[in-house]
Amino acid sequence: MAQSDSVMVGMSPSAKERPGQKRGFFNSSNPWLWLSPALIFLLLYSLGPLILNLVMSFTEFKARQKTFEFIGLENWSNLFQDSRFQNAVSITLQYVVIALIIQVFLGILIAILLDARPFGVGLMQTLIILPMVTAPVVSGMLFRLLTHSEFGYIDFIFQNLGIVTKDEPLIGGKGVYALMGVLLVEIWQWTPFIVLIVLAGLKSIPTEVLEAAEVDGANGWQRFWWVKLPLLRTVLSIAILFRLVDLFRVFDYVAVLTAGGPALHTETLSYYGYVNTFQQVKFGYGATIGVFVMIVVWIVAFSYIRIFRMKW
Amino acid sequence: MATANSTKPQIGIGHRTEAEWRSVQRQQHRQKLINRILLTIVTGVIVLIFFFPIWFWVTASFKTFTGIFQMPPQLIGFDAIGSWWSTVIGGRPYLEVVQETVGANAGTGGGGTVGYYVVPFLVNSAITGFLSTLVVIAVATPTAYALSRFNPRGKQNIVFFILSTRFMPAFAAVLPITQIYRFIGWDDTRFGLVLAHVLVNLPLAILLLKSFFDDVPTDLDDAAMVDGCNRWGAFWRIIIRYVLPGMGAAAVLCLIFSWNEFLFALYLVRIPDLSTLPVFLAGFDTASGGTEWGFLAAAGTAAMVPVFIFILFVQRSLIRGLTLGAVRG
Repeated sequence: MAQSDSVMVGMSPSAKERPGQKRGFFNSSNPWLWLSPALIFLLLYSLGPLILNLVMSFTEFKARQKTFEFIGLENWSNLFQDSRFQNAVSITLQYVVIALIIQVFLGILIAILLDARPFGVGLMQTLIILPMVTAPVVSGMLFRLLTHSEFGYIDFIFQNLGIVTKDEPLIGGKGVYALMGVLLVEIWQWTPFIVLIVLAGLKSIPTEVLEAAEVDGANGWQRFWWVKLPLLRTVLSIAILFRLVDLFRVFDYVAVLTAGGPALHTETLSYYGYVNTFQQVKFGYGATIGVFVMIVVWIVAFSYIRIFRMKW
Repeated sequence: MATANSTKPQIGIGHRTEAEWRSVQRQQHRQKLINRILLTIVTGVIVLIFFFPIWFWVTASFKTFTGIFQMPPQLIGFDAIGSWWSTVIGGRPYLEVVQETVGANAGTGGGGTVGYYVVPFLVNSAITGFLSTLVVIAVATPTAYALSRFNPRGKQNIVFFILSTRFMPAFAAVLPITQIYRFIGWDDTRFGLVLAHVLVNLPLAILLLKSFFDDVPTDLDDAAMVDGCNRWGAFWRIIIRYVLPGMGAAAVLCLIFSWNEFLFALYLVRIPDLSTLPVFLAGFDTASGGTEWGFLAAAGTAAMVPVFIFILFVQRSLIRGLTLGAVRG
């Protein structure tokens, strides 16, 4: 049966060049006809704001006259001399690097533990997904209570462990540990993402490969380091790409948990841009920061995809 | 058993009776069991640490005012009350509940003026989520099919473009969109917010669905077309049936992300009648003496529960969705 089927398909004229079909754009074998609704929508909704932001980044909003005034590259040159912007860049980089490293390591660890099939693995998997699908606003609020300097349980534990003090709680005080507080939510909410992806990767490793390694005398650690980890490279690279794109734009947690404070210790680029646009009505400068973040993410993602030769 | 065992004793261990071998085996078996129990304990503790905040939040919504701030928190066996929920879901007057739970002299926070009755906002979130999901699936499915079946010039660039619509930070996209909306009269309309959520979810849905289409053999398309269908017929009559589970998963994810989305919902719809749940929740001032936390816990739980229920249905497709179809879950 299968053979005769394939013969028939082989003899039939190829789907793409069947005679007697209408040609032109409105032809159901024209890929662009299929793609155009989504592409037109995305072009309007993403290039529209991008172009407006670019234009705005060369202007200054005059709140009194309610007009935009063209000021050339002033916003851009100000940007690189602005110490608050530099602070935001440094906070964002710290945030991205620390969060990424902890999420990846912790994620791999938990995934390996779950992959070793403890009792109740199904329930555990369900429970570990839950943080990820909680609304960032809700999780920010939840951690605001948990990290409260007087009656927050996490702050209480950290005080007892001697990590933070009464005068310098997680959130509050001079803000020495505030970034750690925000990172806690980030790590809590998105480590499960790495867990799930690595778990999917581990499950897709053929058992023959692992058996072969075992026959060759590799112990558990060697099997992980020399067999599993290299095979996980692809899935990990995807997970890291998606975390990178989101981490660079972190906003919700900062907004709900600390509002950038205390003393700018948690002010990320997205939040600084938000402050400019929505609190100080500096639309031009806010747009400049927005475009800057977008360019950074674009470059990071683009080179990342090139380096890891990712294809869809 | 005996024959299997009898092959073993040869290698340098000396001679053992069958009974001795059995005990060795039993010991190994026990060791394995102990290892697995240890593994369960370690993993369980880590998983419980991750689950703790959610459990804490859910239980807080049933605790008395003093119970919420008790240190360390009681996670089971506390005195449960329904007062917070009676306002959040039942619409009981805020002040009445504050007097009952906190006492007559309690300072009141933002809830005094706005109230904590979440049901209208749940409804708003549900309508916005449902409509945007509908649009997303309708637009994404043919696009995903085309990306899976055709090979137009610059396909990888198209995919990167679709991906890159997620790169702009939300705060930067919000202002231009509000300006455009004001210009064309879509500001403060549900329609405008729905389309913004379509923007948020469309890339995800397209790439997720593409990965599902990739799993359907192209022979099916060819067979359909031999039988006289054109491309559209092959897609609509045959292939789409095979990706229905994928469409379900994509729909649930879109629903969740629309449900959780904050900044667009905050600025594109500034009238409370249309506000979604996260906007409503973010609007409260928690600085005033902590009277709000019971209400907030209940309202936050009300926001979580529908999502958790949805997740149970699509757990397996979740990874695929979150990685835009790049990893098969």
